[in-house]
Amino acid sequence: MESGSTDTAKRIFAEARQAGIDLDLIDTNLALPVRERWRQHDAALRLVLKLQQAKAAHDAGLQRADR
Amino acid sequence: MTPDFSALIAKLTDAGFEFVIIDGYAAVTHGSAQVTRDLDLCAVLTEETIGVLRDALRDWNPRHRLTPQRLWFLTVPQPGAPVNNLYLQTDVGVIDVLTTVRGVGDYARLKAKAERLEVDGRVCYVMSLEDLIAAKEAMNRDKDAITAKELRVIAARRRTGGAT
Repeated sequence: MESGSTDTAKRIFAEARQAGIDLDLIDTNLALPVRERWRQHDAALRLVLKLQQAKAAHDAGLQRADR
Repeated sequence: MTPDFSALIAKLTDAGFEFVIIDGYAAVTHGSAQVTRDLDLCAVLTEETIGVLRDALRDWNPRHRLTPQRLWFLTVPQPGAPVNNLYLQTDVGVIDVLTTVRGVGDYARLKAKAERLEVDGRVCYVMSLEDLIAAKEAMNRDKDAITAKELRVIAARRRTGGAT
């Protein structure tokens, strides 16, 4: 039974790797308390939005220069 | 807008709004490495609970993000109007409140299997890993299939306790 569940887990990990999922990132998150998972996520989202705003401002500047 | 979902969760919990965290932020809570742009919750939406939600969000400029005029949540919907879901934008992020989750069920069903969390002294509930995987599989979309694979890794990691 234990061997079966280990085999299942190995198959799940292999499928995830095949799909491009970084299992190390998951392990890193699992080592964190929920509060820290939330903090890191929210900080990452703020960074994504800032980068998108910067890109949009950059593109708008290029459009003005083209006129 | 400066997203701060943990502040939203704290505010709603302190206000007494009862909810279960679902979808992407539930995945993050369980350990997913993905980034989600909205806080999705499942709750019962009645005139009373909407009132609690309004009071909680009052200071964060809540608006209906899917209406062209960005209608103000503090005045729309009118009291007594039936509400199935709310799609809101606030100063601290997008928050969607759904009354049911496809492939799983309504608030009572989710709450029955939800995991109880205590974060910074506040108790809240997150959709169980099993339910979350079922919901992702029910969506039948590529991005949800990837998340389901990630969640299955987390479930297997819990079962085996070993490294991936």
